[in-house]
Amino acid sequence: MASIAISASLQTVCSSHQVTKQPQSKPGARSLGMKEATCVVALNVEANSLNVSAQEKSALRIQKHKAEDAADSKSKDGLRGAELSAVKFRDERWKNGTWDLNMFSKNGKMYWDGIILAEAKRRKFLELHPEASMNDDPVVFRSSIIPWWAWMMRSYLPEAELINGRAAMVGFFMAYVVDALTGLGVVGQTGNFICKAGFFVTVIAIILIRRTQDVGNLRKLADEATFYDKQWQASWQHQNDQTGKKI
Amino acid sequence: MASIALKSFIGLRQTATEKTHFTMQAKPVSPKPSNHRTLQVKAAKTSPKVTGRNLRVAVIGGGPAGGAAAETLAKGGVETFLIERKMDNCKPCGGAIPLCMVGEFDLPLDIIDRRVTKMKMISPSNVAVDIGQTLKPHEYIGMVRREVLDQYLRNRASENGATVINGLFLKMDKPGDGEAPYVLHYTEYDGKAGGAGVKKTMEVDAVIGADGANSRVAKSIDAGDYEYAIAFQERIKIPDDKMVYYENLAEMYVGDDVSPDFYGWVFPKCDHVAVGTGTVTHKGDIKKFQLATRNRANDKILGGKILRVEAHPIPEHPRPRRLAGRVALVGDAAGYVTKCSGEGIYFAAKSGRMCAEAIVEGSENGKRMVNEADLRTYLEKWDKTYWPTYKVLDVLQKVFYRSNPAREAFVEMCADEYVQKMTFDSYLYKRVVPGNPWEDLKLAVNTIGSLVRANALRREMEKINV
Repeated sequence: MASIAISASLQTVCSSHQVTKQPQSKPGARSLGMKEATCVVALNVEANSLNVSAQEKSALRIQKHKAEDAADSKSKDGLRGAELSAVKFRDERWKNGTWDLNMFSKNGKMYWDGIILAEAKRRKFLELHPEASMNDDPVVFRSSIIPWWAWMMRSYLPEAELINGRAAMVGFFMAYVVDALTGLGVVGQTGNFICKAGFFVTVIAIILIRRTQDVGNLRKLADEATFYDKQWQASWQHQNDQTGKKI
Repeated sequence: MASIALKSFIGLRQTATEKTHFTMQAKPVSPKPSNHRTLQVKAAKTSPKVTGRNLRVAVIGGGPAGGAAAETLAKGGVETFLIERKMDNCKPCGGAIPLCMVGEFDLPLDIIDRRVTKMKMISPSNVAVDIGQTLKPHEYIGMVRREVLDQYLRNRASENGATVINGLFLKMDKPGDGEAPYVLHYTEYDGKAGGAGVKKTMEVDAVIGADGANSRVAKSIDAGDYEYAIAFQERIKIPDDKMVYYENLAEMYVGDDVSPDFYGWVFPKCDHVAVGTGTVTHKGDIKKFQLATRNRANDKILGGKILRVEAHPIPEHPRPRRLAGRVALVGDAAGYVTKCSGEGIYFAAKSGRMCAEAIVEGSENGKRMVNEADLRTYLEKWDKTYWPTYKVLDVLQKVFYRSNPAREAFVEMCADEYVQKMTFDSYLYKRVVPGNPWEDLKLAVNTIGSLVRANALRREMEKINV
């Protein structure tokens, strides 16, 4: 079982590298290790047994270490602190299945950004090297301990700035155009129902459509939301088509 | 749903060809249900009486849907033939039944091998959440062996007067005009394993297609195709000390490594565990997903031996046509499997029963010929009763199985007690409970918060190693 796990993780690493489209060439030692691992896996599956000889286990482990080191030195430049000896995720701030908050405080202040970064690295690592879930070493970290303003400051401020800027520009321009066309100043426009409705629609559009592909995405979302309903209604549509026909 | 054995007045006026049996009266024999769809022909009131015999109905397929349908038909006074290809079929199936099924179908408690009272959901980053703290002591998810359950339902149908035939349905000749019978062609094996079987034909008035995901009945009525998921499962016998952990606990693993649009599971069976996964969009990679699932459960199933490898298709949505003439589809043949959880046994049995009830009522306990309108009442009732359940599960799947961040949010949400209570209530009793609006609001806010956090983390992840 252990060897299947190891070879499985090797396989997953290779395939997930393909999935994430990372532009790296696999080192020669690694692909050799992969082929042999696949053979072992196939053999084991055919034998319908997960018990393997110790010899196979140790041979695979050596290959895995070689391959692992070769891969890691190339891939995880940002994770120098988190290099590993086995497939597990290791970080000195990750203790007992959660981040040790004390290690993230600088001069008495909590450095929430650090936790966000560290958790992102951990999840990235696990996406590339999925780990077994252990009962004696459970993960108890919950991202909800990070306060909401930390998320806002880090991820959403730049985007909020962009959207506010767009809204201001569009608003100023439209106020000018409507004034030129109708003679209503800004004060008059805020009293007019049509202007207020137009304003509302514009704000929603700016929030929802941020990149050009958002238009297509929203349409796909609308299709998706109603697709299931259409599949269920199909039986009734057929009935309407066949009124009066005898079978 | 207690079944009270009553001899109806109609039953007392039976003809000589009928066997004496108890007829169940779910409702009094009253005027036909009026259909408010103007397109439908008013039901069987104008249909001629079937003279000299009772209505004959064939049920193709002897799984939960077929067994339940045959039992209800037989109890209702209809002459029933149940055609099943393999009587001892060990179906590849999760085998989980909700609590309400035990009560509604009067299942004996010894059919249930195990009672699952705890579930563990494990996110892509191995955050593990225990679900089941809100279950009351008498509530559980029953794990059954399909061969035991199917056999029990078939036996009950047979005891109530249905004729169980061991045979393989080949094709069906549709009748030329309105009242002519359907001619079924099938090969009868009669219990001889490996034999070629005898080709036979049978004339029946109506057919219920309960023959599963690759239904031949569906093909013969041009019911159309559906998208389906492939579920792949390995039955693994693990050492006893590891089995203790799975005593009444089932696990669900979510993640891109395990499945891009479904989940991987470890379900305890009678004396082994079933480890499996499924997918709709990446069927070719199913073996890879299975390896990943085994890897995630690595320590807990270490040292296990694979007993059996099995795979089966799971319909994703109903077929375009579930009904044509006097032929109706039920169960997996119709595509009644929920999204998100992939549950099908209960809905198969329930749809079989509903369809049979519609036939019994439309034919006034087998005295009149049925027509398509009677069978449509079953579709109406089914859609009305279970549409909310299916829709809610579809929305959940679309929102939470999309991507790894969504799955992380999903697992985080499951830690909430209110969510657990709502989930189990709706799963165990099959009703969409409205719930407390204040808690619903809190839940909505928390859900959005979780999704936002998970997506923010994903953006950070993308910045690394770009």
